[in-house]
Amino acid sequence: MARPSDPVDDRSDAGSVLDTDIIDTTTFEQILEMDDDEDEREFSKSIVYDFFTQAEGTFEKMDKFLEQKNLAELSSLGHFLKGSSATLGLAKVKDSCEKIQHYGAKKDASGTTDEPDDEVSLDRLKKIIAQAKAEFKDAEKILRRFYHDE
Amino acid sequence: MLHRKIWVKRPGASATLVKIKEDDLVDDLRDMILQKYANSLGRSFDSPDITLKIVTLKDQHQREERVMGPDEQICRTLDTAYPEGQTIHEALLIDVPHRRTPKPSPRAHMPYYPEETRPYESGTDYFPQMPINQPSPAGSTNHSHESRTSQVNHAHHTSHHSISVLQTGQIPPLPSPGGTRRTHHNRPGRPGYARTHTSSPTTAANPPTIAAIAGNPALRTSRPRLDSSASDAKHTVSSTTIQPLPTPPLATTAEGAVPPTSVPTTPRVSSPGPRKKKLNPKRITTRSPSPDVKPTLSILDTSVPPINVLIVEDNQINLKLLEQFIRRLKVRWQTAVNGREAVTKWRQGGFHLVLMDIQLPIMSGLEATKEIRRLERVNNIGIFSSASSEAPTLAGSRLLAPQDVDGKEVGSDAEVDEEKEKEEDKLGDQRRLFKSPVIIVALTASNLQVDRHEALAAGCNDFLTKPVNFVWFERKVKEWGCMQALIDFDGWRKWKDYAALQQADANATNAGSGPGRKNMQDKKDKAKKAAANKKDLDRLRRGARETSTSGGTGSGSSGSTGTGTESEGTGIGMDDAMGNKENKG
Repeated sequence: MARPSDPVDDRSDAGSVLDTDIIDTTTFEQILEMDDDEDEREFSKSIVYDFFTQAEGTFEKMDKFLEQKNLAELSSLGHFLKGSSATLGLAKVKDSCEKIQHYGAKKDASGTTDEPDDEVSLDRLKKIIAQAKAEFKDAEKILRRFYHDE
Repeated sequence: MLHRKIWVKRPGASATLVKIKEDDLVDDLRDMILQKYANSLGRSFDSPDITLKIVTLKDQHQREERVMGPDEQICRTLDTAYPEGQTIHEALLIDVPHRRTPKPSPRAHMPYYPEETRPYESGTDYFPQMPINQPSPAGSTNHSHESRTSQVNHAHHTSHHSISVLQTGQIPPLPSPGGTRRTHHNRPGRPGYARTHTSSPTTAANPPTIAAIAGNPALRTSRPRLDSSASDAKHTVSSTTIQPLPTPPLATTAEGAVPPTSVPTTPRVSSPGPRKKKLNPKRITTRSPSPDVKPTLSILDTSVPPINVLIVEDNQINLKLLEQFIRRLKVRWQTAVNGREAVTKWRQGGFHLVLMDIQLPIMSGLEATKEIRRLERVNNIGIFSSASSEAPTLAGSRLLAPQDVDGKEVGSDAEVDEEKEKEEDKLGDQRRLFKSPVIIVALTASNLQVDRHEALAAGCNDFLTKPVNFVWFERKVKEWGCMQALIDFDGWRKWKDYAALQQADANATNAGSGPGRKNMQDKKDKAKKAAANKKDLDRLRRGARETSTSGGTGSGSSGSTGTGTESEGTGIGMDDAMGNKENKG
C-alpha cells in the first residue's frame, strides 16, 4: 500500500498514508464516528478492548483445539474471529483468520480446493495461527497506543 | 378478334384507356382495370370488388348513373349509350368499396345489440360470416358526427357493415331495399338469446376479479409483477418530474415515492465492489456516499420509518457495533445471538427487518431464515391481509389447506402428526402483528457468490457484506424500512404525526433556534468530529509506522476486506409484500 503520493494528498487523506495492512482505516474510522465524544472515545474504546479480550480467549481455544486436532472447531473459531477483526478493520488478522477457517475446513488457503491430508491441514493451521497471533499483537500495540494506554 | 380501347376513370381522377376485346363482358373489363391500376387497386382489390358505372346524359342537365352488370357486353352497351363513340368525358366510372381500414361501423351510433351479429335468418349471402369483433358503441362515439353523415347518405351501399365487407370480401352491388337492421331487429318471434353472449371476446378478456385472485393463491405470483411494473412506471414519472426541480418542498414529496420503488433497482446497480474499493487510493473520500446517493440520504435523513429490527449476530463485537448503528437510526431493535433465538423472537411478532448473520451457532442463519419463511407460509402471512380479521374463517382455512401441506413438506419433520404440528406452528393471537413477510437481510462474511445465492435461495431478500459499512447499513434499513412502512401505511402515518410532534417539541425547547440553525449546528459538530478523527488517525498511522518497521510484512492479498454490499435480487418477500399492500388498499 506504499504509495508515492504528493504531500498534500498525504496530509488530507488519512486512509492513504497508513503504510501497513494492519489496520484498515476506512473501517476503523467508521467505528470512531460512532463515538459520541471524541475526547473520551468511550464506545470505540470499549469495542476495541472487548475485542482484545475476545481475541485472546479465542487464541487460547485455538491452541486447545490444535492439540485435540479438532479441525472443525478450529475452522469455526477462525470464522468467528474473522468476523470481529473484519469489523474493526484489522485486515491482517482477518485474512489469517480466514485462512484458519479454510484450513480447518480441510481446504487450501483460498477455500477452493480440498486438502485430503489432515496432517497437512494441521501443520498449516499451526503456522497460520502463530501468524495470526503475531498480527494481533501488532494491531493491539497500535491500538493501545491510540487510546493512550501502554 | 378485334381490339378496342375504352375510357375508364376513378371518380375525381383522370381517365385512362383500357384495351378490351370486341366481345368482352364487363367482368373481363374488371380484370383489365386491375392490370391497369396494378398499384392503387390491384394490391388490395379483386376484380369482383370493382363496380363499373356508366354515365349518360339524359338531357342537358341530368346525368344518369347506372351500375353495369358483370355479364353485360361492354361494346354493345357503349355503342348504345354513345352512338357517336365514347369520349374521354364519358369514361366509365370505376367504383370500389372505399373503406379498407377497419373503422367503427358507420351505423354504430345505434344502440348496441350483440344480437346484430347474428346472420340473417333468411340466409341471404350478403353477410355469410359475421364479424367477431363487433365495434363497441364506446369506440364510435368520436365518430358520431361522421356516422350521422353517413346515415344521411344511407342509400349508399357501403354504409352497410364495412367490417363484414372486409371479412367476407363481398359488397352488395346494390343497396338492398328493406334490408336494414332495424326492421330485422324488431322482427317478432326470434330467439331470445344470442350466441355472442357466451363467446364474446370481451367477456373472455375480462380480468379475473379480486375475489378470484385472493381465493386462488396460485395466481398470486403473477400479480405483483404487474403491480411492480406499474409502480416502475410511476417511478419514472415521478423522478422525471422531481429531478429537474431540486427545491426542498418537492424533495420531501419524493420521500414517499422514491424508497419503495428504488428498492428493487438500486441494490443491483450500485454495488461498490469491495476489491475495487481496496485499491482505491482515496479510501476515506470514497467512503462517504457517492453524489447520486447523497440527495436520497439527505431526503431520508429525517424519515427512518418506525420499524422494528431484529439483529441476529453471535459475535459480541459485531453485535455491539450493529447495535450502535441501529441506535443512531433511532429505530426499535432487539438482538438474538443464534438462529433458534432469532426464530423465537420473530414469533413474538412486530418485526419488519431482520439482519441475519449467516454463520451462527445452534441454528445457522440460513436455517433460521428457512424456518421463518416456512412459518410465514403456514400462517399465510402476506398471502392476503387477514391482519384485520381476528381469526381466519373456516372457509378460509379450508381454502388454504394445500399450502399447509406444502409448508410441511418443506419442513424437516413432515411426517409427524399434522394436527399437532399445526398447533405448534400457529402464531396465535400475535397473528395481527405480522402484516407482511419480514425482510431478511443476510450478513455475509464472504464475498463468494455461492454464499449469496445460498442466502437468497433460503429466503433472504438482500445481503450486506461484512464488515458492515454504516452508510450501507443505513441505506438498507431505510430502503426496506420505507417499503415495510408503506405496507403498514396507517402505522407509518401515526408515526409521522408523532415524529412531527416530537420535532415541534424539540424546536420549542430549543427556543430561538429554528431547524435551519439546528442543521448548521449539526454540520459544525460533524466537521469538528471529522477533524478530530483525522487527527487521531494521524496518530494511529504514526504508531502503525513505528510498528510496521518491526512486524509489517505487507501482504497484497488482503483484497477481501469488503466494505460494500451487493444485492442480486429481492427474493420472495418483496412480491408477497406488494401483493399484501394491494390487498390492503
